[in-house]
Amino acid sequence: MSDTVTLAGPQQRQFNPYSDNGGTILAVAGANFSVIAGDTRQSEGYNIQTRYAPKVFRLTDKAVLAVNGFAADGNMFVKKVKQRLEWYRHAHSKDMPLRSIARLIQSMLYGRRFFPYYVYNILGGIEEDGSGAVYSFDPVGSYERETCRAAGAAQSLVQPFLDNQIYFKNQVAAPGTSHPSHLPLSDVLALVIDSFTSATERHIEVGDGLEIFIVLARGAPIHGLEAIQGIQEMTSNAEGERVFIVRRVLKYD
Amino acid sequence: MASADGGAYSYSLTVFSPSGKLVQIEHALAVVAGGTTSLGIKASNGIVIATEKKTSSILIDDSMLDKVSVICPNIGIVYSGMGPDSRVLISKARKCAQAYWKMHGEYPPTRVLVQEVATIMQQATQSGGVRPYGVSLLIAGWDINRGQSLYQVDPSGSFWAWKASAIGKNMVNAKTFLEKRYNDDISLEDAIHTALLTLKEGFEGQMTEKTIEIGVVTIPTPEELELGKADAATGRPKPTFRKLTEEEVRDYLAL
Amino acid sequence: MSIMEYNGGSVIAMVGKECVAIACDLRLGNQALGISSKFEKIFPVTDKLYVGLPGLATDVTTLKELFRYRVNMYTIKEEREIEPDTFAHLVSSTLYERRFGPYFIEPVMAGISTTPGGKVKPFIAATDLIGCLNFAKDFVVAGTASSKLFGVAEGLWEPDLEPEDLFETISQTMLNAVDRDAYSGWGTMVYVITKDKVIQRTLKGRMD
Repeated sequence: MSDTVTLAGPQQRQFNPYSDNGGTILAVAGANFSVIAGDTRQSEGYNIQTRYAPKVFRLTDKAVLAVNGFAADGNMFVKKVKQRLEWYRHAHSKDMPLRSIARLIQSMLYGRRFFPYYVYNILGGIEEDGSGAVYSFDPVGSYERETCRAAGAAQSLVQPFLDNQIYFKNQVAAPGTSHPSHLPLSDVLALVIDSFTSATERHIEVGDGLEIFIVLARGAPIHGLEAIQGIQEMTSNAEGERVFIVRRVLKYD
Repeated sequence: MASADGGAYSYSLTVFSPSGKLVQIEHALAVVAGGTTSLGIKASNGIVIATEKKTSSILIDDSMLDKVSVICPNIGIVYSGMGPDSRVLISKARKCAQAYWKMHGEYPPTRVLVQEVATIMQQATQSGGVRPYGVSLLIAGWDINRGQSLYQVDPSGSFWAWKASAIGKNMVNAKTFLEKRYNDDISLEDAIHTALLTLKEGFEGQMTEKTIEIGVVTIPTPEELELGKADAATGRPKPTFRKLTEEEVRDYLAL
Repeated sequence: MSIMEYNGGSVIAMVGKECVAIACDLRLGNQALGISSKFEKIFPVTDKLYVGLPGLATDVTTLKELFRYRVNMYTIKEEREIEPDTFAHLVSSTLYERRFGPYFIEPVMAGISTTPGGKVKPFIAATDLIGCLNFAKDFVVAGTASSKLFGVAEGLWEPDLEPEDLFETISQTMLNAVDRDAYSGWGTMVYVITKDKVIQRTLKGRMD
């Protein structure tokens, strides 16, 4: 006979299906290009699970999606978006327009309104009118088109910096001049790299590697782009929009 | 009432005699006047404090006796009078210095420490059930504000800054001697020799490294001052007060 | 509800070339409700040393008075002005005295001192609410917008800024950081401390 007799009181058990895998993503729209970037560190608490887990994905030649938050949900979400885009290609023999991808993502996120994908999405690319565009989403599908957006662990560090440097917030233009509504690509790339080095310096969940996707509008000049060290083209169709990727190292500590 | 020993007023220390004296304090001064001679000289580039160390028996191991004490890296004290009382004050002074460091991240300026020690000694003249400390102190230190400074604190708790002073037995003679020898631009080396000469005046027996104790305050070089409080190698303040070793004392005596 | 966010407010300090700057917002709130746009959080300690006290408003007032008392006592006792690094230790000790019932303030200090050789030494420091000192060489931040301040400052700050450039840097950092913080803002106050003068400016910012 067992001598450990426990009175069966009420017991509660819990399973939390979510976790936070850190990292930060960021996108900036230019006049005829779009830049989408993310670091590659994946962490849980104080542990680094891997120093290379991509968070930014090429969807089509004119759309790139950055996904940040719960990595498992993020990966599954990208997989499903890609699947929907392939079905679209089969049905319509063309890539889905960027604004339609944005609406698709909203529907897919809201479809899980009561068991959400725990991810913040930023979609960057080229609209049908040839303009650079950035769409940002919350986990349940609320979205808007913007010129720039940061999300993830270091959003609070990066976003106000971008407000200042991209939107020229709190800056007054010299008399008779006005602030540009879009920055040239070289300026944007410099700001993106600065943002991530800053975030790496001050946030433990950001670091290791940086992947920057550049989407160029159809026929846009590639001035100076080929000179960027280590740049790779990922375009499938030479006539349309072009996608490039630039990789940079970030600090490991 | 007007008896030689102070009469009824000599026992309760907190009661003034009709003539306005606290007789116990005068008794304490008498203790000091009977103690071994100590002296201090402020030089242009430092301070020397010195004392004679007398033992009542050759059997006493005098290497264990300390009459010049380090309070903190920039302050040292020498006393004349009762050894046990001095140890209590030395230990309180050290605690003061550490408490100051804990609050401000640096050791106290000489004057602040002197004030605190003087306050402790004064309290013993006004509290019930205690007697005054039977010691006078010479406190020598260096700080960024006032440079090197030499103070004397008496059992009453009063204190003065001196260019040179002596306490204990022979203090009157020693002070007269110092008055003759002192000048404002004396160097530390000269001051040490003057200190030894002064002690020699009233010294009974042989002056050796065993019967003399010397402490010196040195001033930091401009380069060291520029570096600030912490020494780059240790991260601690570089001491400006130190005791001379027996070898160093022997070398000075030999000259 | 965190007590550190009850009233809101932020402070930042930066080092420049032979100068330092310190800035605060002017909001006083009751959680999300704005109460005042004139609540200064930076106070002079000496001519060349300022302290910023972001956190619980009642403790801002209390600590301001407590530091005033302690610095005055120090000045009288020691017959000298307190040096920035000594003041930092005083702040630290004062807060640690309340280790288990702390003041809900994270002080930020900025000042300059002169070495015996006449060299000007910029000094900044910050502590947490129980007095753990942080002597940074670039900038220190505190308050409800601290993470935003970190991000912008890390992007804008560079070494050896002249007073006017340092002013621009700290102002832009503050303005843009508090615009992304619901609990900070409603105006900004900036002090630039140099060897021979202190420049104080009040900046207009977004009032939402």
